[in-house]
Amino acid sequence: MLEAITAMASVIGDPYLLMLIAVTTVLGIVIGVLPGLGATTGAALLLPFTLTMSPVNAIAVLATLYVSATFAGSITAILINTPGTSAAAATTFDGFPLAQRGEAGRALGIAVVSSTIGGIFSIIVLCLAAPLLARVAYEFRPPEYFALTVFGLSMLASIGAGGAVKNLIGGIFGVWLATIGAERVTSIERFMFGNYELYEGLSFVPVMIGLFAISELLVQSKHAHRVADMVTLKAVKLPTREDYRKIWKTIARSSGIGTFIGILPAEGATVASMIGYSEARRWSKNREEFGKGSVEGIAGAEAANNAATGGAMVPTMVLGIPGSGTTAIILVGLMVHGLRPGPYLFTEQIGTVYQIFGSMLVANVIFLAMGLYAAKLFARISLVPTAILWPIVFALSVIGAYALSASLLDVWIALIFGVVGFFARRHGFSVAPIAVGLILGHMVEVNLQNSLKMFDGAWWMILTQPLALLFLILAFLGLFGSQIVKLITGGGKAAD
Amino acid sequence: MMRPLIVPGIIAAFSVVIIYLALQLKLSPPMIVGHSMQPRSFPIFLMVINLVLVGILAWDCMRNPPKPIKLEGMTTWISISLFAAFYVLTTYADFFIAIAVVMFLLCTSWGEKRYHIAALVSVTVPLTLFLLFDEVLKIRFPRGLITNWYYG
Repeated sequence: MLEAITAMASVIGDPYLLMLIAVTTVLGIVIGVLPGLGATTGAALLLPFTLTMSPVNAIAVLATLYVSATFAGSITAILINTPGTSAAAATTFDGFPLAQRGEAGRALGIAVVSSTIGGIFSIIVLCLAAPLLARVAYEFRPPEYFALTVFGLSMLASIGAGGAVKNLIGGIFGVWLATIGAERVTSIERFMFGNYELYEGLSFVPVMIGLFAISELLVQSKHAHRVADMVTLKAVKLPTREDYRKIWKTIARSSGIGTFIGILPAEGATVASMIGYSEARRWSKNREEFGKGSVEGIAGAEAANNAATGGAMVPTMVLGIPGSGTTAIILVGLMVHGLRPGPYLFTEQIGTVYQIFGSMLVANVIFLAMGLYAAKLFARISLVPTAILWPIVFALSVIGAYALSASLLDVWIALIFGVVGFFARRHGFSVAPIAVGLILGHMVEVNLQNSLKMFDGAWWMILTQPLALLFLILAFLGLFGSQIVKLITGGGKAAD
Repeated sequence: MMRPLIVPGIIAAFSVVIIYLALQLKLSPPMIVGHSMQPRSFPIFLMVINLVLVGILAWDCMRNPPKPIKLEGMTTWISISLFAAFYVLTTYADFFIAIAVVMFLLCTSWGEKRYHIAALVSVTVPLTLFLLFDEVLKIRFPRGLITNWYYG
């Protein structure tokens, strides 16, 4: 414990790291306020710039961007009724009406304070829960890991915007992508089509850049001529005592909800903010104010979406199972920098882990200050013409894709996956399951192979391992639970 | 009638092609694989699951046909075509010339009427990124007209 506190405190004593966190917080807010960019695209674009950094600095930068961009989406949600990130969608319900009443500063103040409290709460939970979970995960063997990854993949059904079946198809496509290259045990080449640059498999970074940044560029091309109207903002105000009296219970509740939802594999800030908002409404004495500028509505959504960022880091770092597109990129960052995500990270690299947590904590404090004093300036950035912004994203994407392996093939891969991702999204498939599937693909195949070796080919022996069985039952319930409930209670009743 | 089945049909065809390709993979001797799987088994297993899911998707599409999707606007198609132009320019001219040209054409095709601004952005952004990656991150870029001149 003392080691953890020392490592977290060391962040404050490292001026270079502090500067990196401050710069990344600004960058994260800029990325968050630009409609369409968001935390995931931002992390994908930033990843190549972290290549020469130390592992701690690199992951701290990515985690800081995650936290600050998630918060910043609320600035445009309140001022121009356009959420900078999908996680801020629920903030528009009450943030924009309050801003239209001339109280934009109050709305932003509540959003900033709620986000900070939610974020800090979730990091405290992360610091306490992650080592405990790691201690349990330390005992996992291949059958348990195999079942856990199957559980993670089953949770893909609810990730992103597509329906459950479409998300699972996307996830399986991602797992298949992970089989490209030489098979690890036998070295038999799979789906390489004679291209030896693919011998080690597809690089994660260009695929991520393609799926998130380039596909988003093509999506945004449909809105190329959009002009946003911005509500006037005089100054951001801290919530009054009366506001605090109204929202403290909501912030506490949403912080808990957000952290819990973030911890669940494949659930993320968007789901957390929606549930945080609806719970705030359910428990409120002033329900009629919701949708018309309720401060509880803003607090409920904002505390939950930022709390989910800390929660989402738990499965990512402890189990190596990312909960969202952004955590998938952070996981890639860990691997690129030679850190092995999983319970061993908490025994072999405990100092590094807590420095990363410490950086997230500092980022929350910095964006509180930035949100209060510079939101007006950041809001103006959202008015950058899309015709200038997205060509810059194109340049960052192709250079970033090239940078990791100095290979032009990676640039073509990024462009191809950009087009594939665009058409997938056009037909209602989310790209996040493809990214998560690609990352988990190797893990699921290797652990299945090792389990079969352990049990001399008797696959059903996996079911005799209690923890593995538990994960598989959870996966089954995750996929078919609602259908089973419908069957038991009758379709009509369940729908009610 | 068949329109809702186009997407499930494409995915099903893709899955069948992957199964066919997987079946062409070499078999590994039992002394290496032991009681574990052949390299072809896992992709086939995945695609069989995919076919089941595609069946469910097709059934769902038949019951609740998705709304017809509007054809993309010109800007989207131009952007995709510019990716192809980027490949040609990178291969035959230079990576950074290709980025600058594509950036300029993207800016203008997306509605930027101030050509001097579009040109300024298209030159300064790749130049800045080149200097940053080359000088700070020590990454060498592929040889081309400009990089040949720069690297000597």
